[in-house]
Amino acid sequence: MSPVTHSATDSDVLQRSEIDRSLRHPVMFFLTSGAAWLAVSILLGVISTAKMSSPGLLSDCSWLSYGRVQAAHINTLVYGWGMQAAFAVIIWLMARLSKKQCSSAGIILTAGHVWNAGITLGVLGILSGNGTGMPWMEFPVFAWPVLLISYFVILIWSFVQFSMRPKGEGETFISAWYLLAAMIWFPWVYLTANILLHCVPGHPVMAAGVNAWFRSAMIFLFFVPVGLGAAYFLAGKVTGKAIDSAQLAKIGFWSLALIGPWAGLQKLAGAPVPYFLPYVGATATALLFIPCVAGALNCLRTILTDKETFSPSPTLQFTTAGLVGLVVLGITGAVTNLPGSSLQFTQFSLSGYGFDILAVYGFFTLVMFGATYFIVPRVTRREWLSRRLIRTHFIFSVYGTIFVAIVALFGGMLQGRGQEDWNSTWAGGQFAAPYAVTMTFSWALILFSNVFFFIHLTLMWLRLGRRGTQPTLLNTTHEEPASPHGEDGDIDNAGPGHAPAH
Amino acid sequence: MSENDPQTAPVDSVDASVDQGAVAREAAACAREKPLVGCGNEPISIWVIAACGFVVLIAGAILGSGGRLFSYGELIRANYARATAPGADKSGPEPKAALDAYMARGAKIYSAKCNGCHGPDAKGDGANYPSLVGSAWSTGETERFAMIILNGLTGPTSTGKAYGAGMVSQAAGLTAEDLAGVMTYVRNNFGNEVGDVITTEMAQAAMDTSAARDNAGMQMTKEELDANHVKPLPGEPLDPAALVDPITLVKVAGAAPAAAAPAAPES
Repeated sequence: MSPVTHSATDSDVLQRSEIDRSLRHPVMFFLTSGAAWLAVSILLGVISTAKMSSPGLLSDCSWLSYGRVQAAHINTLVYGWGMQAAFAVIIWLMARLSKKQCSSAGIILTAGHVWNAGITLGVLGILSGNGTGMPWMEFPVFAWPVLLISYFVILIWSFVQFSMRPKGEGETFISAWYLLAAMIWFPWVYLTANILLHCVPGHPVMAAGVNAWFRSAMIFLFFVPVGLGAAYFLAGKVTGKAIDSAQLAKIGFWSLALIGPWAGLQKLAGAPVPYFLPYVGATATALLFIPCVAGALNCLRTILTDKETFSPSPTLQFTTAGLVGLVVLGITGAVTNLPGSSLQFTQFSLSGYGFDILAVYGFFTLVMFGATYFIVPRVTRREWLSRRLIRTHFIFSVYGTIFVAIVALFGGMLQGRGQEDWNSTWAGGQFAAPYAVTMTFSWALILFSNVFFFIHLTLMWLRLGRRGTQPTLLNTTHEEPASPHGEDGDIDNAGPGHAPAH
Repeated sequence: MSENDPQTAPVDSVDASVDQGAVAREAAACAREKPLVGCGNEPISIWVIAACGFVVLIAGAILGSGGRLFSYGELIRANYARATAPGADKSGPEPKAALDAYMARGAKIYSAKCNGCHGPDAKGDGANYPSLVGSAWSTGETERFAMIILNGLTGPTSTGKAYGAGMVSQAAGLTAEDLAGVMTYVRNNFGNEVGDVITTEMAQAAMDTSAARDNAGMQMTKEELDANHVKPLPGEPLDPAALVDPITLVKVAGAAPAAAAPAAPES
């Protein structure tokens, strides 16, 4: 290794480590509190799916009635975990891609606390019976301005960093397109929906339409671009290879930007809204197959060319699982929204829930876990404590998600078919109970793994992680180290460049 | 840390290098990272293009069945008809016997329009409102009965007795189905047992006749009724047992007895 390249690498390392250091507490705050909300959300999910199969469960407690628990479950998943994981990844990744340190960690942390306070009050509002009853927007009306303002305070610095980035260093990396787009789309979608529903309420049927659009736009204009932005970065970074195809990346991004805003209104098929609107929604949802598959395949082809790096890396394992989830999401969107054939079975059944879980958990959350396993050792300067915990987390998350999403999607289709059969009774034709039992069981497995994930993450934030230069990898071929804290003295024995890349 | 900008300054000092190395060891995860290369230019797989093309075809088909785009006034598809329910050989509600279907429609109209004066038992009150039970005009020639409902009546009734100011026209908002229903209902209820069905077609003929009167809109009198309207309404009689759609009252094709319905019993 020549001295020049060595020193250039060192200055890069310095810069990167300074950026990581400057964001340690905001990133760890969002990830850890997000993981806590995720555990809360899954607990509520266990209760709500259990109530689906045994309605008498906890029926004495009005705070835990199905309508409230289900709403709290989805809202904590979306705003408590999903948005906060996105914050952590966006602020870190935008700083890295803009090569700028964060000089406003304190303000971000403060806004992060306000965000969490808003979520807490919102969830209490839902559980006490003051929810709005609009899917994905159940928080009482006071919550949305609080969330929107703290959103701006948290992410405005990422815009500033991006506009001040050193120019002339080649093209802007794909991740920055997706993250910037998501950062702009979320306030647009959130503000539009909340103003149309809370400030200038129009016809109630159109309000249901606005709500359905909001739900779809949150998935396709926020969670999908943030997840893809992270996945592109992780794929390129961990393998050290060029992203497979620049063309496919452009097609994926622009098709998402052009098609995404049209989707959502297919949920109102048959309602007295202008007749073409549900068809436009169904068309757009089918066409979203293109950005999903383009982005996912581009990343997957990049990752899977490097099997040596892929198989031991928790980051790439999680990211790959999430990308497969994205492909499934694209296919599901095209298959379950065909007016006149499949839409009638999915419109009013569990399938909508399955689609949401597939998007938010089966794709987004799994990629966020991948990003977490990459980011946390950098910002805390400690290695993950236990590969066994990571492996358990991976297996339980992936299998649990497959069960919840697939069972809800296909069980929902059968449930929808039962609902359509006008010769059978409502209760007898539903067929939902066995699927609900499976979902309860799967959520319980996911809960189990995520409680340990939360503890693992908290220990990392307390800087109780393993000191060392070797990453915590999943390879089973090597012998387990004698001490759970790593081999003795490896901080002295191995310098930079000696450890396998990850 | 070097006092120079670490990004641009060529680091030739041994001390600086050592210093940075120490930081890099502390941030080992950062140090072992690979650089971000950017984008390659692999061709797009033909399978991806084919799959996306297939989805575009499906999407085009969905959009094509969505009617005219951006026509905000259209809430339902043109010529919308309920699809056949799965497991059933015909669409729509279960067909009913004509007499029952017309009576059901008539019962609603009676309670909305007639009940107030003639009463729930159709017997009137004997002073201001005459009874419809056994009345020669209610159970007799159908055109005369229809004309009274459509135009009202003043002066003497079938019994020769005049009731107060007479009856006002009940035609407002009444469709041919409604008129047919309410006439059938009165003629086959409250103890009246004529047994025939006044079809929608007959009721329409009555409405046409009523609109063509010389003094259209005026209440009927016994003289005018006796002069012009003592006849049955024109139209094909309907077997009371023939199956009809309970909503539209249209005869269900193929569901009726194969033999042509015998002439409905005339009163």
